[in-house]
Amino acid sequence: MPAKTHPSKNPKTVFVGMSGGVDSSVSAMLLKNQGYKVVGIYMKNWSEDLPGMKCPWAEDLADAKRVAVKLGIDFEVWDFEKEYKKRVVDYMLNEFKAGNTPNPDIMCNQEIKFKLFYEKAMSAGADYIATGHYARIKTISNHPALLRGIDEKKDQTYFLYRISEESLAHTIFPIGEMTKPEVKKLAEENGLHNAYKKESMGVCFIGEVGIKDFLKEYIDINPGEIREIESNNILGYHEGVIFYTIGQRHGLYLNGEKGKINDGMPYYVVKKDIKNNIIYVSKNLNHEAIWTKTLELKDILLRSSKLILNPAKNYPVMVRLRHLAPLVPATINGKFLTFKEEIKRPAPGQSAVLYEDEECLGGGIIC
Amino acid sequence: MIYLDHAAATPISKKVLKKMEPYFLHDFFNPSAAYMPAKKVNAKYEAAKASIAHTIGAKSSDLIITAGATEANNLAFTAIKKPQGAKKVLYLETEHDSVRQIAQKYGGEKIKVHSSGIIDLNDLKNKITDETELISIALVNNEIGTIQPLAEVSAIIRDVKIQRLKKGIKTKLLLHSDASQALNLIDINVARLGIDLLTMNSAKVYGPKGVGALYVSHDAKLNPIILGGGQENGLRSGTENVPGVIGFAEALEEAKKHLASNRKKYATWKKVLLKELHDYELINKKHTLDNFIVICYNRIDAERLIFLLEEKDVYVSTGAACAASKGVRSHVLKAIGLSDTQIAGSLRITLGETNDESQIKKAAKIINEVVEKERERIKNAG
Repeated sequence: MPAKTHPSKNPKTVFVGMSGGVDSSVSAMLLKNQGYKVVGIYMKNWSEDLPGMKCPWAEDLADAKRVAVKLGIDFEVWDFEKEYKKRVVDYMLNEFKAGNTPNPDIMCNQEIKFKLFYEKAMSAGADYIATGHYARIKTISNHPALLRGIDEKKDQTYFLYRISEESLAHTIFPIGEMTKPEVKKLAEENGLHNAYKKESMGVCFIGEVGIKDFLKEYIDINPGEIREIESNNILGYHEGVIFYTIGQRHGLYLNGEKGKINDGMPYYVVKKDIKNNIIYVSKNLNHEAIWTKTLELKDILLRSSKLILNPAKNYPVMVRLRHLAPLVPATINGKFLTFKEEIKRPAPGQSAVLYEDEECLGGGIIC
Repeated sequence: MIYLDHAAATPISKKVLKKMEPYFLHDFFNPSAAYMPAKKVNAKYEAAKASIAHTIGAKSSDLIITAGATEANNLAFTAIKKPQGAKKVLYLETEHDSVRQIAQKYGGEKIKVHSSGIIDLNDLKNKITDETELISIALVNNEIGTIQPLAEVSAIIRDVKIQRLKKGIKTKLLLHSDASQALNLIDINVARLGIDLLTMNSAKVYGPKGVGALYVSHDAKLNPIILGGGQENGLRSGTENVPGVIGFAEALEEAKKHLASNRKKYATWKKVLLKELHDYELINKKHTLDNFIVICYNRIDAERLIFLLEEKDVYVSTGAACAASKGVRSHVLKAIGLSDTQIAGSLRITLGETNDESQIKKAAKIINEVVEKERERIKNAG
C-alpha cells in the first residue's frame, strides 16, 4: 500500500469508486481517516429497468451520496453507461451467442473500473484510485503484485486478474487486509447506514433477474431438441442452446419431467451444438464432456514476473475456476493447464485464474 | 426530531387511531356478510364514507374508495372512451407522476404553467379540441404547493361545452383534479368548482395510508380496473378497508374543524422561517399553500443538505418525493423555468402538525449552519 500521508502536508488525492455498498463505503472512510483527500465517485454503468425488475441504481447512488456527505467528502456521478453497454454488455451477449459463458464482472473491472474510471480519475487530478474489493497489493521488485484478500471467503482477485499493471500501481484496496465481518462492524460503529444493506451480486441486473432472463431481453428464444448423447434419442426440448451451460442439470424440459427420466437420475448438459441448435445430455456423470484433466486457455494475461520469466515448462500453480471455488493444483505449460486430478470441466468463456501462494499470477479464458 | 416533510407523509392522530382500533380487533366482519354484526360494520362504513363525501359537498354514492390517490388517479382516466387514437387528454405539466404516467399512456398533451406555477389558461384554451374528453389539473401541486384556479378552468370548460352542444357534438368534457395535498387546508365543493372527478388521499391529511377516494360526478362513466366482488358500485372490487375508511373520515373531520386556524398558523410559521433563514431564494412566491416552502441555495447540492440535516435530526426533501432516490430532476421545477443548478439547489420544506414555532426557529438555525458549513467545504475544495 502507498505510504500514508498526513492531513497537514499536501495530502494525496484518492478517487474512490462508491457503489453505495458497505465495502466501498468503509473503504472511503478508511482513506479519509488515513489523511487522504478523498473524492467519491458513483459509476453509473447501468440504469435500465427490466420487466419485473427495477434497476436499483438510483437508490444505490443515494446510498453512496449519503455516505459521502457523512464523511464530508466531495462526490460526483460519472456516467459510463454507453461504454459499459459497448464494452461489457455487448461483449457478454456476443460471447453467449457464440456458445460461451462469459464473466461480465471480470470484463467490467478490466474495461470500466480499472480503465475508464482509472484514466478519468488520473486526468481529474487523482494520485490513486481505490475500490472496495477484497484484494491486496504488494510491490515486488518494482512491480505491483495482486494478492488475495485476507478474508478467503470474500477474496475478489478472481474478478481482478485482468486489470492492467499500470492501474494496479495506482490503486488502493483499503479493506483487503480486513474480513467482511470486520468491515461490517466498522460500518456499524461509525453509523454508516449501509452496514445493513443487502449485498449486491456482481452486476446488479444479473444478480436479481438471473442471466437467462437478462439474455432473453436481448436474444429471442429459439426452441430446439434435447438429445441423449449415447442414444441420440430426443428426450425433450430447450429454449435455445445459448441459454444453457455445459454441466447444467436444472431447467431442462425433458418429456414433461424436469431433468429426470424413469430412474430419477438427473441428466447433465454435456454438449452444445450451436449450428444445429441441439443440446446433448447424459446421465453418465463420468462423461468425458464433464470431466477433464487439461484445459486450453486463450487471451492469457500473465501479471507476475515469476511466470513471465519462467515461460519454461510445467510451472506449478494453484488454479481457481470460479469465484471462491477451491484452489486446485495444476501446472501451466504455454496455453495448457494440466491438473493433478480430474476436474469438472468449466464452461468455455469462464476464466481460469492462477495463483502461487497468496499471489495472483494471472490467468486466461477457457476455450 | 424536526419533521419538515408533511407533503410526503403525515402521522395519524391518537384520536384517529382510537376510532380505527375496534375495526381491527372486534368489528372485523366483512361488510358484505349477511349476519347482523357484519351489517352493523357495513352501516359504520357507509356512514364514514358519507362523512368523507360531505367534506367536498358530495354524496356517499358519488365516492369510490380506493387504496390511495395513485389508484384514484388511474381510475379517473377510465372515464375516457376508446382510449387509443386521437389526443383526448390534457394535463398540467406539473402534475404528480401518478397523473402524468397514466395521461401519457392515453396520449395526453401537456398544458403549460407560468413561472409562478399557475396554469396558463390561454394555453389550455388553445389546446382544447372537439376530441378532448378529460382535463386533469391538481388543485394543489405536490412539490411547490401552487393552488390552481379551478373555478376559472371550469368556466372555460363550460363555454366549450356550450359550443359543443351548439355544434351538435356529443363528446363529453370532464375535469379531473387531484386534491391530495389540499383536503386539510382548502374548503372544497365539487359542484362549486365544477369538478367531475376528484382524487382524495387520506395519507396526506393525517389519516391512515393506503386509503383514498375518487369522487365521480354523474357525467363521468368509469370502467373498473379491478374486478371481483363488485364492491364500490362495481367500480372497485375487493373487501372494504373498513378501519382505513373510518380513520380517513375522522381525519377529515378533524381537519375541517381547524381549516382556517391551520392556514393562519402555517402562514405565521412560514414568515418566521423565511425571516430566520439566510441567503436563499424563495421559489414558490405566489398562490401557494403556506405550508409549502421551496427555497433554493445557489451553487449548493440540496441532496447533500438532506443527508446533512438528517444527521441533525431535521427531515426535509428536495423537489420531488426525493429526487435522489429516483435519479431524475424535478419536472415541476423545470416547468416553472428553473435552471439545472437552481433545481439541484432546491429544498422542499412542508410544515405540518408535528411542528411548533420553536421548532421552526430551531430548524432555521440548523439549516443556516449546515448551509454555511457546506459553502465552506465547497470553498476549500475549489
